[in-house]
Amino acid sequence: MTSTDAYKGPAIELIEVAKHYGKTMVLDGVNLDIAPGEFIALLGPSGCGKSTLLKLIAGLDELSAGEIHIAGRLANYLKPSDRDVAMVFQNYALYPHMTVAENLGFPLKMGGVDRDVVRGKVEAAASLLQLSAQLDRFPDQLSGGQRQRVALGRAIVREPYVFLMDEPLSNLDALLRVEMRTELVRLHKRVGRTTIYVTHDQVEAMTMANRIVLMKSGVIQQVGTPAEIYAMPANIFVATFVGSPPMNLFSGRIENEGGRLLFRGPFELAVPPGFTPGPVTIGIRPEHVALCNGGEKSSLAAMIDAVERVGPDSYLRTTTAQGIALTARVEGSAKAREGDQIAVRFPLAHLRLFDAAGNRVPMGEES
Amino acid sequence: MGLDAATGAGVPLGRLRLSAEEHRRLRHQARLRRELTGWLFLAPMFACFVIFLVLPVIGTVWWSLRSGGLGGETKFIGFRNFTDLPDTVGAGTAITNTLVFALISVPLILIGALAIALLLARIERGGSIYRFLIYFPVLVPGVVAALIWLFMTNVDFGLFNEVARALGGKPVVWLGADHALTVLAILDVWRNVGYWALFFVAAIIGLPKELYQAADLDGASALARLRYLTLPLLRRMIFFAVVVATIWGLQVFDTALVLTNGGPGTATTTVIYRVWLYMFGATNKIGVASAISLVLIIAILLLTLVQMRLLRGRRGGD
Amino acid sequence: MVATIQLDAAQHARKRVRSRRQREFARHLALGLIAFILVAPFYYVLLASLKDSTEIFSYPPKLLPIPLYLGNYRDLLWDTGFLRWMFNTLFVATSVTVIKVFLDSMAGFALAKIDFTGKRIVFMLMLILLMVPIGALIVPLWSLVSTLGLINTYLALILPPLANPLGAILMRQFILGLPRDLENAARLDGLSEFAIYWRIVLPLIKPGLVVLAVITFTDQFMSFTWPLIATTSDELQVLTVGIAALRAHGGANYGLWSASAIMSLVPIGIFFFVLQRQFLARSLAGALKQ
Repeated sequence: MTSTDAYKGPAIELIEVAKHYGKTMVLDGVNLDIAPGEFIALLGPSGCGKSTLLKLIAGLDELSAGEIHIAGRLANYLKPSDRDVAMVFQNYALYPHMTVAENLGFPLKMGGVDRDVVRGKVEAAASLLQLSAQLDRFPDQLSGGQRQRVALGRAIVREPYVFLMDEPLSNLDALLRVEMRTELVRLHKRVGRTTIYVTHDQVEAMTMANRIVLMKSGVIQQVGTPAEIYAMPANIFVATFVGSPPMNLFSGRIENEGGRLLFRGPFELAVPPGFTPGPVTIGIRPEHVALCNGGEKSSLAAMIDAVERVGPDSYLRTTTAQGIALTARVEGSAKAREGDQIAVRFPLAHLRLFDAAGNRVPMGEES
Repeated sequence: MGLDAATGAGVPLGRLRLSAEEHRRLRHQARLRRELTGWLFLAPMFACFVIFLVLPVIGTVWWSLRSGGLGGETKFIGFRNFTDLPDTVGAGTAITNTLVFALISVPLILIGALAIALLLARIERGGSIYRFLIYFPVLVPGVVAALIWLFMTNVDFGLFNEVARALGGKPVVWLGADHALTVLAILDVWRNVGYWALFFVAAIIGLPKELYQAADLDGASALARLRYLTLPLLRRMIFFAVVVATIWGLQVFDTALVLTNGGPGTATTTVIYRVWLYMFGATNKIGVASAISLVLIIAILLLTLVQMRLLRGRRGGD
Repeated sequence: MVATIQLDAAQHARKRVRSRRQREFARHLALGLIAFILVAPFYYVLLASLKDSTEIFSYPPKLLPIPLYLGNYRDLLWDTGFLRWMFNTLFVATSVTVIKVFLDSMAGFALAKIDFTGKRIVFMLMLILLMVPIGALIVPLWSLVSTLGLINTYLALILPPLANPLGAILMRQFILGLPRDLENAARLDGLSEFAIYWRIVLPLIKPGLVVLAVITFTDQFMSFTWPLIATTSDELQVLTVGIAALRAHGGANYGLWSASAIMSLVPIGIFFFVLQRQFLARSLAGALKQ
């Protein structure tokens, strides 16, 4: 595949990609460029279209509109096996009547590769994934984790231009999942191929991806690095989808009070100039909520309802004096008990403002 | 193949490469290819299906509206074959015989099958031997079964009359005009009870065991379990069995031919038998034969539709 | 107090076990009786086939075939076309089975996995006409086959049974049960549709293929109505028609008839006994799934 290696443009371009089944619109006007070697996570709740998008890229489904380019070539009408992509399925899709070795070697065999070469590549992939002892077994004799690695191996042997993964870890138990996460990242660093990874687990996406594509109802909500998405969410959906516990949100209005802009809601907050008055939502993440002494002007009083100790941190579930729920994160060693009265402050730099439509409005100096 | 061979060199990137029309054309091509593949796989079987099933059904309708003989000229006569049906020789008898036959055999088959299934489902050891023995008559061709029964019903030395004599009774003319149809029905029961018995065994085994454990705890007797638990749970399967067994019962022919030649007289002439007589017998009346066949086909189709409606209603579609 | 309670518990257990065993015994008794009634006629006929004509009419009947008389079998195999009939039946049944398994699995594959216009209509049509038997269609079927010039050929016996949609419906059901992404993986690996059918689907529905094969074979073995009118020459008689002819022509030769009955059971008996475990288990599983 020398020409794909020599190709310098985006590995994958999605241009106005749309897909509908009858009257239901599953994907609507998706535009995206993916650079070679990137690890992209397609993140979103179930039904957002991420798996459909993956299948369209793979060629397992037909586009209703738009174009998909792979390595600069129009891929819409190419057969899946001509697109130089390999896919790892959620349920592994291993051939039950073939051994692990045969499963691994099958794509190569179909490509007409010489038998000795096939064996070499199979053994290489098997040792990379610690499957060498399982080569002569059948899928139903393997554990879930092993099966998952065979599915991975089958994609690896093809040395494709792009790896497509459809929630490959969701059928594993929690411990194994974390292990495999690091494995996959390590593999990606080593093999260096463009990877598109579909998941509904934001922790997975945040820890594994170079860039995250967050989707909802067939529309891309935001594309960015994990840090960008976390710190600068494009809208309320992104802000609450990523980060756990989710961002605290307060709705209210910005009003012009004699030349000064004021946020009026469950509390009052002075707002720097430059904003249009109107209904808004203010958000702040639990870890940015600062405890202070009650006396300050912009502080808020709240009573602790519950304290969740999660290892090195604690989450304080509180209710403000105005009756709004607020979650704050403090260090685990902090002394806090149910029923305590605390005062909190929202540092301006960490406040996020969202307009009536839910989109974020930049606030000037942000960090 | 790969990306190189599959497409040509690109035009400036990041922009739609083909016009909407070209896309439509290519998409159309891909769809056509898919349709062709689908039909290619389906075609051989579907061709046989159309030629040897659908066409004959249409043909039956066609000829039922005509009169004439095989290999000769036929005239269109409208629905006369049907309106004349009550007067057509043997038609009414055939239909009555077949209905009576089904009325006797089907309930007996199913009740017997259920009884056997209830026993088999609970048996602990040796079940498979019983299954094999009970299922064995199912595998016997109708003509062979009829021969066997011909033998057993023989007035002088048949098994039945031997048993009757041993019990001190009188020998019976089993295949005489009074009993022939009944004997034919019992023959059918003997042949088919094993099939449905295994069917019900599978159904019973599939019932949730927890319900029975709960019933045991509640102190339900075996009869109560049967009445309030097993039978209601099996309702859909029983209904299915009734419809299918009836449809099969309506087709009886080979046993009637070999056992009694449709007699004595026309006592055991069934619908298909009568059709055969009209087709290949002395009277070569293709129109009448088709009309009678059509009556049978419609009966079967109605039963099928009833069945589909009921199954679909509960499950909400396939 | 505790001691008496314990005693009662033990007594209870014994009583329960006893009554359970009693019920099991009763079941065996009932089933044994039923099985006996169902199978006894075969033994009776077997006996008759081994007796000569004088013995058959004797009373009281002997329960053991002594002296053994094989003349009936000799007459059957030598003087009638029985062997020819048997060959025809086995040939036709095997041909139909082999062809049908492939045709129906391909059709089932298309119905289950490929999207094409008219799929729903075709499937509906098959469901509706599923139960219409060949017997009800003998008039036009005969006319069609004779127009095609196929009367009295093996094709006349082999082709019409292929029309039965049960196989296609069954195969579709089995193929629908395969994991969804399996063909997607195969497509990505570069398999053509036919290769997916041949290398992935077929091996994985083997139990279904076996069920279809057994059903088809036994159906063909026992079929009577259509072969009766489709073949008139002696060369092509199938077993069922030949035996019926024996009944029609020969006057009351019970010995010959019984021999023919027993001989006709041999292939099916062997076939079924060999497959017995598998078939019963599989058809039960198949029924349960639906």
